[in-house]
Amino acid sequence: MIEPSWIAGLGAFLFCIGLVGVFTRKNAIIVLMCIEIMLNAVNLNFVAGAAHWENIDGWVYTSVAIAIAAAEVAVGLAIFLALYSQRNTISLDEVTLLKH
Amino acid sequence: MGEHSKAEWNLLLPVLAMVSFPVIRMSMGFGAIESAFLIAVVPLAIFPAILILGQLYKGEDWWKHQLKEGGIVALAGLMITLSLTVWLIVEFLVHHAEFGAQGTILDWIHFEVFEGEALVGTSTLSFGLWIDSVSLMVLFVAAFLCFLICWFAIGYMTTDPINEDRNHRFFAEFILFSMGMFGMVLADNFLWLFIFWEIMGLCSYLLIGFYWEKPSAAAAAKKAFLTTRVGDVFLMVGLFMLYDLYHSLEFAVIFGDPTLGGAVHGADLQWPLFFMFIGCVGKSAQFPLHVWLPDAMEGPTPVSALIHAATMVNAGLYLVARMFPLFSEHHFEGDLSDLAMLIAWVGGITACMAAFIAFVANDIKRVLAYSTMSQLAYIFTGLGAACWFANEGHHHLSIVAFGASLFHLFNHAMAKGMLFMASGSVIHEMHHAHDHAHGHGEDDHHDFDPQDMRNMGGLASKMPITSIAMMLGSMSIIGIPLIGGFWSKEGIVAQTWNVYAHGGEMILFPAILVLATAGMTGFYMSRMWFMTFAGKAKSDVVEHVHEDTQWIKTPLVVLSIVTAFSGFILACGHFVYWLSDPEHSHFMTDLFAHPVDAILYELEHAFLPKENLLKIVGWTAILLSAGVGPYIAARMHGGHLSEGEESSPLTAWLISYSGNVGHTDIGDLAEGGFATALHNRLYIDDLYEWVIARTLLPLATICAWIDKNWVDGVIKGIESGSQSTSTWLRQFTTGRASDYLLMATIGMLVIVGVLWGVL
Repeated sequence: MIEPSWIAGLGAFLFCIGLVGVFTRKNAIIVLMCIEIMLNAVNLNFVAGAAHWENIDGWVYTSVAIAIAAAEVAVGLAIFLALYSQRNTISLDEVTLLKH
Repeated sequence: MGEHSKAEWNLLLPVLAMVSFPVIRMSMGFGAIESAFLIAVVPLAIFPAILILGQLYKGEDWWKHQLKEGGIVALAGLMITLSLTVWLIVEFLVHHAEFGAQGTILDWIHFEVFEGEALVGTSTLSFGLWIDSVSLMVLFVAAFLCFLICWFAIGYMTTDPINEDRNHRFFAEFILFSMGMFGMVLADNFLWLFIFWEIMGLCSYLLIGFYWEKPSAAAAAKKAFLTTRVGDVFLMVGLFMLYDLYHSLEFAVIFGDPTLGGAVHGADLQWPLFFMFIGCVGKSAQFPLHVWLPDAMEGPTPVSALIHAATMVNAGLYLVARMFPLFSEHHFEGDLSDLAMLIAWVGGITACMAAFIAFVANDIKRVLAYSTMSQLAYIFTGLGAACWFANEGHHHLSIVAFGASLFHLFNHAMAKGMLFMASGSVIHEMHHAHDHAHGHGEDDHHDFDPQDMRNMGGLASKMPITSIAMMLGSMSIIGIPLIGGFWSKEGIVAQTWNVYAHGGEMILFPAILVLATAGMTGFYMSRMWFMTFAGKAKSDVVEHVHEDTQWIKTPLVVLSIVTAFSGFILACGHFVYWLSDPEHSHFMTDLFAHPVDAILYELEHAFLPKENLLKIVGWTAILLSAGVGPYIAARMHGGHLSEGEESSPLTAWLISYSGNVGHTDIGDLAEGGFATALHNRLYIDDLYEWVIARTLLPLATICAWIDKNWVDGVIKGIESGSQSTSTWLRQFTTGRASDYLLMATIGMLVIVGVLWGVL
């Protein structure tokens, strides 16, 4: 049996990778992928928790989160497509209209 | 010039049509008293009409020539008020309507009265009419003179190019001013009296500063406004105290039972009445708040006539006359006699001081200004004497003194209104003659003053009507026997001394002063007339002077007749008694029934009173005012006209008298220290300036500093602080999604950390 704390540590590690990727990467698709990594880091925690405590709630949360993530990716990619058709780029450094 | 001379009588047709206004009201079924409120309402409605029409149509031909830039509209409005006033007088004199409160016109403010937490009742501030003999007299003086002065102003203002296209402002303010006076006289409570009083204060500011582009006029307007404001603050305090005593400011309540069922004592009234008197002192330009009046001469001449004869200065006298019933309440006997004495003292000091300053004034209008102060001071002295008699229980004497004082108000207003208009006529023609002789060059005006009497002389042949008017007016003011002011001034001087005879020793000083002032009046008024009209011309401008417009001459003729005869007729008709005790006066009835007896009775009273003291005082006054004063003035400033100049036969005798009495040179006297002090108005203005420069100005500077650095500093600190903060914060809005995510993450971590710490 793998220690739950190891799985929690792996989840935290994956989350930090995703977070750093979101802060540093400029390509919107990579940023989206980093967000997915963060979501899945959380999902990993849920699954591990559910197995450890033998509680079904964790499985349910995870399946809902995967469904939502799929929808989110669809919306996100659609936005990037629209952005590309307008600006001819998907680099986040060049999308700064909200600047003062 | 010839263009001005053409008759414009046809313009008066709409004005004359207004006489029918009372007839229309009557046919609609209204009585004179029910229509009396229109005396104030009609001018109030005309005021904005003239302003708006003037602003819209200035410069257009019909506005300028048919309506005289609003002058005809104002004159028509004043015709309505005058005819309503006459109707009202007829109602009271012929039909004997009852004096006193005449009902409420307008309920203004309702409010609940609390004592602590408990509701003790409700109260209403309303506007109603109060009409008695005093208000009728003052109302008539105001309505009659405002009408004539407006008539005069049409001629005076609209022929001067400097006023072009802004005369509508003059006429609008003029009629608002008249409305203030009418309303004040009609009001049935002190609150509305005060409101109208302030309207007049505002209008005096606007009118004195009519030539606002002249710094001296702007300063004079401010001075008049602020000086009277000092008095008004005291008046307001006095009214608060009065309200505190009576819980009402209605005349009907206060005069109905001055003791309020024994709750109010004479001693309680001393301070409120004293403060109210300070308000009167300011408004009527008495010492020590007199400094605004001579400067107020900066306004156009019709304004001087309006303020100094018809309206504003009479307001102060009217208010003192309004207080009179409180003095004559027998429960207060002896409590208010000190205040009465103070009124007399203020009057005596001002009378003498103003007459002295008038000795050296060379500006024709300023002589009249000081004369106004001096004559109003006479009235104050008389009212002081009347109040003293009333408070000491000498009922009959108080009636005589009170009536004589108000009679002097009437005579003075008529004469002074005319004198100002006559001086305006002189100034106007001198000005035009100067333009005629020297062209319209701007530079010429700086070294020529059309108001300076040292540029005049010998005008009697050029301006016969003006010279006669001025002569009659001066005689009335001086108190030449049988003419105008003689009847009232004689009464005032005699009653002031009578106070002394009845145990008021304190009055001796003002009594001596008013007696001496009688002679001084004789001197300065004669001096003014001789300097202006007698002798040889003192500048080449006089050559070109001639009277021309009907607008200026007609009011002078009307007022000459009034001044010459009204004093005698009214005196013999018991006007004095009617003013103070209308129910027992037989006003005019005796005169119509037994003319000879009535006239002889009055002559005997005036010239041969029973008491020896009065006989001596009376004859001294006559000798000083009609003899000594004019004689000295004639010696100093009189003289025959130049060869070939003919004056009117009515003034010829005076000029030949002044030429025949010989000549005294006054060079040394005029250079002396006292004359210099008088030229500087006894340094009172300088003293005020000195005091203000050392007290108010530093205080104002400190206040300004605090305002700028503390009060404004806080506001400005908030403003600049938030601005710099937001500028600093702007650098974080980079517009990059990753930065915002970083901020959100940090924020969330902080929140989690805080919650962790708290939980």
